[in-house]
Amino acid sequence: MDSRTRRSFPRTASCLPEIFAFMDAFFDEARVGDSCRNTAQLAVEELFTNLVKYSRGGKSDIRIDLARDGGRLIVSLTDFDVEPFDIRTVPDAKTDLSLAERKPGGLGIHLVKRLVDHIDYEYADRNSTTTFIKNLE
Amino acid sequence: MLDIKFGEQGQIVVSGRFDASQAERAEEFLSKVTESREMDLGGLQYISSLGLGVLLATQKRLMGTGHALKLTNVRGHIREIFHFSGFEQVFEIDPNPPA
Repeated sequence: MDSRTRRSFPRTASCLPEIFAFMDAFFDEARVGDSCRNTAQLAVEELFTNLVKYSRGGKSDIRIDLARDGGRLIVSLTDFDVEPFDIRTVPDAKTDLSLAERKPGGLGIHLVKRLVDHIDYEYADRNSTTTFIKNLE
Repeated sequence: MLDIKFGEQGQIVVSGRFDASQAERAEEFLSKVTESREMDLGGLQYISSLGLGVLLATQKRLMGTGHALKLTNVRGHIREIFHFSGFEQVFEIDPNPPA
């Protein structure tokens, strides 16, 4: 089954429940299983909250594209009229430190990079798009 | 929605979705915990980095006074996230999956 949808959301973390509902409706239609749903929602939450938190000049809504292409779930987040930010260049969090040495934060992008199967990045006309692929089980 | 409460044996029982929109409420509840407790995560379906940060901050505060959280009934998907977050180094995690 192949299907796709897209929707834009205001750049505020308070719309996360709305984003999850949008994703759940698509997952039901595209028959995406629980394990993949959790991973995709975690990745979208981390990427979306990162865009909101660091802004990089953005004022427009953030667009989320969801697609199922055979055995792959393809998810893109596009931020318009912003500075570039490629998550693939972000150093990994230091997860082997003792509790005393650990500081809050930095885990989000680290987790995305480990939980999804592939990440792409495009920057054109000041529009920044991060795409991840999760293979369906 | 996240549900967090004390169980009958004094353990902390967490269920539902621990996403960014729930972090503040969880933080407020956990600020009341001042001694070692088991945290039963059998009903936890989802956790993101903000939720992980709340757990880490609580553990850090408790260990400062010689106490700690022990995490129990951790499901496969959540266990994977804990593993990638290095939680085995900072929490005692019951190796048994939920019944």
